[in-house]
Amino acid sequence: MKPLDRMTRDWSGGCWRSVLTALLVIAVLSPLKAQESAEAEDPWGDEAWGDDPWTGEKAGWQWYGFIDGATASRIHDDPAVGDDYTLNETRLQLEGERPIGDYTATVKADVWIDGVEDGVRGDLREAALAGRLTERMDIDVGRQILTWGTGDLVFLNDLFPKDYVSFFSGRDDEYLKAPADALRLSWFGDVNVDFVWMPRAAPNRYITGERLSYFSVVEGRRVAAPPEIDPRERDSLGRDSEVALRVYQTIDSVEYAGYAYHGYDNQPSAVDPSTGEAYSPRLTSLGASLRRPVLGGIGNLETAYYSGEDSSGDDPNLPNDQWRFLGGFENEPFADFTLGWQYLLEWTRDHDALVANLPAAQRPYAPDEYRHLLTNRITWQLLRQDLTLSLFTFYSPSDADYYLRPRAIYRFSDQLTGTAGGNLFGGADDWTFHTQLEDNSNLYLRLRYSF
Amino acid sequence: MKHFLPLTWLVVAGLVAGTASAQMTDPEQIVEEANIASYYAGDDGRSAARMLIVDGNDNRQRRQFTLLRKDVVEGGDQRYLVVFSRPADIRGTVFRVEKHVGESDDRWLYLPALDLVKRIAAGDKRTSFVGSHFFYEDISGRGTEEDEHTLIDTTDEYYVIESTPKDPDQVEFARYRTWIDRETMLPMRTEYQRDAGEVYRRMEVTEVETIDGYPTGTEVRMEDLDSGGYTVTQFRFSEYDVGLPDRIFSERSLRNPPRDWLRRD
Repeated sequence: MKPLDRMTRDWSGGCWRSVLTALLVIAVLSPLKAQESAEAEDPWGDEAWGDDPWTGEKAGWQWYGFIDGATASRIHDDPAVGDDYTLNETRLQLEGERPIGDYTATVKADVWIDGVEDGVRGDLREAALAGRLTERMDIDVGRQILTWGTGDLVFLNDLFPKDYVSFFSGRDDEYLKAPADALRLSWFGDVNVDFVWMPRAAPNRYITGERLSYFSVVEGRRVAAPPEIDPRERDSLGRDSEVALRVYQTIDSVEYAGYAYHGYDNQPSAVDPSTGEAYSPRLTSLGASLRRPVLGGIGNLETAYYSGEDSSGDDPNLPNDQWRFLGGFENEPFADFTLGWQYLLEWTRDHDALVANLPAAQRPYAPDEYRHLLTNRITWQLLRQDLTLSLFTFYSPSDADYYLRPRAIYRFSDQLTGTAGGNLFGGADDWTFHTQLEDNSNLYLRLRYSF
Repeated sequence: MKHFLPLTWLVVAGLVAGTASAQMTDPEQIVEEANIASYYAGDDGRSAARMLIVDGNDNRQRRQFTLLRKDVVEGGDQRYLVVFSRPADIRGTVFRVEKHVGESDDRWLYLPALDLVKRIAAGDKRTSFVGSHFFYEDISGRGTEEDEHTLIDTTDEYYVIESTPKDPDQVEFARYRTWIDRETMLPMRTEYQRDAGEVYRRMEVTEVETIDGYPTGTEVRMEDLDSGGYTVTQFRFSEYDVGLPDRIFSERSLRNPPRDWLRRD
């Protein structure tokens, strides 16, 4: 826990500014009293039947969105990052939708005042046109969020971009998925096929040291920016393109899927020995999954083989090939109480060659040949689902580290939602996946007004 | 208790209403017909729905959705697609159900912000449907074979059925009573009781319209007598036998809802 003087500084300092700003905006936007008196006359408020987007097909843009304020405070001092907060922002998200013939155009953009990176930031999350191309084919073209696979916050065949910086620093789950510029074609028949083409590589929004500290194998300690990790971009249209394929079908309640991907690693996992520059190496993957009801719950199995540029595993500047296996089970033992369990194995191939070719100083940080990860999700809904308590736990017995995500969400009304939670990292060795993030452990608070 | 209706009245009523107004005495048959009338009108159906959820402190929430339903077997398996349009934070969420009578349903949820197709464990059907006072089971029906049914009264208007669960551990009630309209076979009121006979939950149909020849409850109120909270659900723009194709009850409709079929004419 923080010493008292740190705590008092928080209260007097800018920590609550984001939440207060949001509160102020909400107060202006939400004339509750007026709403209540209007409701006495019409209990449905302004909800005329005619404005249902599905039934009263309307021309022109429909706008939705939210404004929220969020702050996430580190629970330890981070010697590498001179900021007590991983998050401190007031954010506006606007989402527009309009029919264009038989198609739907969607735009979703975020603008926020960022107290950690000091400035106004923006992010275009969606700008796409989607619809039915033929009786059997759908198209979705433009900037979009893409997801597939059976894991719960664990991804094997989903090699679409993630934003772990947002995820770890206390933003909403929605921000774990980063947008990709893509053409998605979906064919529906005896077997369904999804084909996704990304004209330029869509990497993760990975940790650069800007907001979060991480472990540097070169320096042998936890570091942060400056210098920021600045890998070589893969942004040449066409030449740096990626494709992803899914073939799937449900037969008698069992969901079968096969996957293929040919593109680049989402992380800058390779180093150019001549310049010392990091870059995303080639990555090809093949996989399969199965999801079905079992023992009164849902069970899933998934596997993927990652094949990279270093087939013999003896180049220390390139990641080795990997097999990944996932097994999961989720059920509802009591009403409104769900429990989920997952086991993930990451099997690094040619492990001996990898270790043998690493510089002696980096050998301790080499990945284990077998990395085991267990996850558990507990979700408990109370007060007729107005309150959701949850805890997601990542625990790796082989890395001896953990990552806890406790969270409480309270729905004050259809417009106003409050969230309190944490991202807590820890473990034995500074260089493992979760332990390296220990100094970024944070508790966050968010208040959101949706409109 | 027995009621003897004049024969002439029966004949006239039968001719006018065209429904089976003849007095039924078999509770299983009454319950079966009520189930068909409530949940199986036509071979398929489409309706817009909105809910007003009021808790014991008079806090109000709303839900609005379009419901598509298709029967696989009359009185048996069904397929549902529920597309939410309100409130803002639930908009675009799609819920798909393959209802299996006598075994667990298959349920999927699509969360648009994450482009995530989540499969939901069948779990407890007697939990709140999207935060309302209605349970999943109230929306899609409770298997008639799950309870023992007794006809405890027949009035001029209603058959009164008392039902007790065959597996009491699976449910929160000790028994429930249903008032079934003899004319339409629609359950107009259901009261759920605890062991001592105390009523803690009440469903009432407050509006009925005949749509495409099927009497339909177009306003239904569910009260939680413990908290004083209640939910009113209104159905509008209901249509039956619209010819919904099987293929729209699929993963395709989660990411890209079938606009042609959701749109009201």
